[in-house]
Amino acid sequence: MAEPAWADWIRERDDPEIARGQPEALDDITVLDLSYKSFAGCYCSSMLAEFGAEVLRVEPPEGDFIRRCTPYGIRYQGEGLNYLAEGRNKFHITLNLEKPKARELLKGLVSQADVLIETYRPGVMDDWGIGYENLEEINPRLIFASITAYGQFGPMSRSRMPDYDNIIQARSANQYDTGEMLPEGMSYDDCPWAIPTKAGPWIAWANAGTFMAVGILAALHWREMTGEGQALDVASAEAYASLEDWAAIWYQGAGVINERFGNLNTGGWLYCFAPTKDGAVFLGALRLEMWQAFADMMGKWDEWDAANWTDLASFSEREVQLKWARLVFAETRKYTNEELVGMSVEYAKTGRLAPITPVVAPVCSPEEAMHDANWLDRGIFAPVEDPVYGELVIAQAQHKMTETPIRTKWVCRPVGYDNEHIYLKYLSYGPRRLKALKEAGII
Amino acid sequence: MAESTWRNYIENKHSKPMPLRGIRVLEVCTLVLGPSGPGFLARLGAEVIKCEMPPLGDTLRSLVPFGYFFKDQSTSLIRPNPNKYWVGLDLHTPEGQEVFRELAVKADIIEENLRPGVLESWNVGYRQIKEINPSIIYIAKTGFGQWGQYARENRPSNDGAAQAMSGYSWMSSFPGQQPIKGRLYICDSYGALMGEVAVLAALHYRDRTGKGQYIELSQSESIMRTMSWIWPYQHITGKTAMPAGNRDVSICPADTFRCADDTFLALAAPSPEEFKGLCIAMDRPELADDPRFKDHTTRLQEENAVEILGIIAEWARTKIAEEIEGLAEKHGFAATRVCTIKDVVEDKHFRARGFMTEVDDALLGQFLDYEFPVMMSKTPPRVNWTVRPVGFDNEYVMINTLGKSEEEIEQLYDCRALGKWADVRGRRPPPDWDGKAGLIIARD
Repeated sequence: MAEPAWADWIRERDDPEIARGQPEALDDITVLDLSYKSFAGCYCSSMLAEFGAEVLRVEPPEGDFIRRCTPYGIRYQGEGLNYLAEGRNKFHITLNLEKPKARELLKGLVSQADVLIETYRPGVMDDWGIGYENLEEINPRLIFASITAYGQFGPMSRSRMPDYDNIIQARSANQYDTGEMLPEGMSYDDCPWAIPTKAGPWIAWANAGTFMAVGILAALHWREMTGEGQALDVASAEAYASLEDWAAIWYQGAGVINERFGNLNTGGWLYCFAPTKDGAVFLGALRLEMWQAFADMMGKWDEWDAANWTDLASFSEREVQLKWARLVFAETRKYTNEELVGMSVEYAKTGRLAPITPVVAPVCSPEEAMHDANWLDRGIFAPVEDPVYGELVIAQAQHKMTETPIRTKWVCRPVGYDNEHIYLKYLSYGPRRLKALKEAGII
Repeated sequence: MAESTWRNYIENKHSKPMPLRGIRVLEVCTLVLGPSGPGFLARLGAEVIKCEMPPLGDTLRSLVPFGYFFKDQSTSLIRPNPNKYWVGLDLHTPEGQEVFRELAVKADIIEENLRPGVLESWNVGYRQIKEINPSIIYIAKTGFGQWGQYARENRPSNDGAAQAMSGYSWMSSFPGQQPIKGRLYICDSYGALMGEVAVLAALHYRDRTGKGQYIELSQSESIMRTMSWIWPYQHITGKTAMPAGNRDVSICPADTFRCADDTFLALAAPSPEEFKGLCIAMDRPELADDPRFKDHTTRLQEENAVEILGIIAEWARTKIAEEIEGLAEKHGFAATRVCTIKDVVEDKHFRARGFMTEVDDALLGQFLDYEFPVMMSKTPPRVNWTVRPVGFDNEYVMINTLGKSEEEIEQLYDCRALGKWADVRGRRPPPDWDGKAGLIIARD
């Protein structure tokens, strides 16, 4: 019997719908997440919790300030919406680290943990006697992960400045060269939107947390080989700056400081957002044949002399791009998003250069994305039934895996929700002793 | 801080091991989404063998800012591709496929980003490789994953498509204006990073059980994962999440402000102490007690947020960025000029930490690259060397890894399974190359 088609075969093995019954990659790992005022730290521990690590999320008794960072101040059942999306699969306990007794409790947890994540200003943990060098003595296998604005060493490491997403975006140079170009003869007063523009989502925080997750997993592999733990240090602006692709080399080689280029791409043609009858589409054609296919698809093969184009490099200069953008946009404006996407799919089947076809993708609102049948089918927005908060939609199942798929067991927990279970499990504290700790302001 | 742990980190890092030492990765990737993942692993010490289609190789070799090549090399190729071994291998040929399968038997991880089913049609797909190496970790990265409507339509994708379709660009623009495509290839680079979380989690699982697995990753789904409040907000309120320019609607105050000299500054001061510090810095201490601004939740409400951001904007317009940065340091809130690439490359702190790290390369000479941004006290990641022409390390990999004889290698060239670079910019060595520098084995 012939093997089933690849898509069917793999879906049978990695559809998130069957994730629940599968093994978990990290279910032998215990993580303490002490992050404070930092979405990066919460996001980092989420990455590990999705793979089954037991994450103990440690907050001060009043809850982490990050819970109160929520759009327009909106709360759902008392919870901020960002935190709601990133409390997933974690046990939430409280511990007032200002108190010496609380730090003793923490040491008890550390001796049973594999990973500790923290985001306090460098020096704070050391001053409390629970820095890496203190905890390493208790547990030499510990992986101690710090995410901060400036990192643990270097001339700015003692800076008092806190670490926020918009600051990281500005400091990393990735805001400066994104945004609309100021139209000629206009000022910022005329066009207050034609300025350096940051990304809306907390990408710089998420990115710092994800880099740290990769670092932690690499350190776990090393520990598997040698038994050694270690300290890890992420400075969030470095993490975000490091995703940049060519501007640093361009500056070093040619002395050019990269500037905004609107919805075009300094790094190559054809790669832009183009206006349409009902919105905009992304157009991508980074190989000559794809750019030719685009010209052909728009009925401009002869008029634009596409048969005689010899390489894409001749379209990449600034003025040339601006000239061609005008020609291209005049054509795309004649169609709707849906028509253009359909033309590209059709061209892949029947076009002169088929199966080569340009990338055409609609610019969507997140509302459209959330209702797109393709993503719904792939389980990204499958509603989660949370025992505390009820049915919620959060983004999940971003990887599909055949052996150890990620999953969302619950989305969030109120402050201190798991104190009883966790302090009993790890430190043998029953209800009477727990009550005493609570009264003493320790948990 | 852990002062003695980090003392002399950059002086000592080259005499320490790297954490993924001994892990071998095979790469069949182009552009940014694909190669960045193995690029991260290579910075962590894995041995990455990058297989490119000779003689032109990776499409990224053509992509440069406004036509600028760095010593005849693609400026864009450098960041995703450090520390790799470069093989020119034509997987359309049966002999090329056989070489790949020989390498796959000796590999721990395979990474590819071609369209679904392409590698299978070349007899090196997951179903074929797992038969000869059951513990392989095999990741495929695409726009839309391996199944579902868009995968079925065989749609191509780019970073910009993912920015568009996820709603990411929509959320990254000013109200009433066109959505802005972010200048970074964020869905590529971040998607690749997200992929490595899965790869390394799978490696941990393999360390425990010996079992490999298959991973599929979509760049759109990866970026959607980062968009936190947007999904529950839409689900709960039934409204579309709307863009807010440079203002962070979850943190108040947090926005970008125009300074006296028409430069821009980002500022954030949401916690009680930070906000109080800002009010003192503005010489308006009474604002900290104003009922409209008294706590974070109150400040975040639309009318209050607009009000306080207006007050800060007016104040910032009378100062230069440097002055506000100084006040932020003094009073404990956050502020920074919107940095240019020059600021980043020349940043003294980044240099002192070895984040902007000096590469001393046999082909490209000296330049600064980004170090892997997780400093690791016992196993420091690092960039040792940079990009190479197509097929540059063929002999090294064929002899050292596969034990092939000169004659066998000759045959592989004859049947065009192996090949080297075309004599064009982005593919060939730098103009001052002496024909030997950087080659590991064949220097004749």
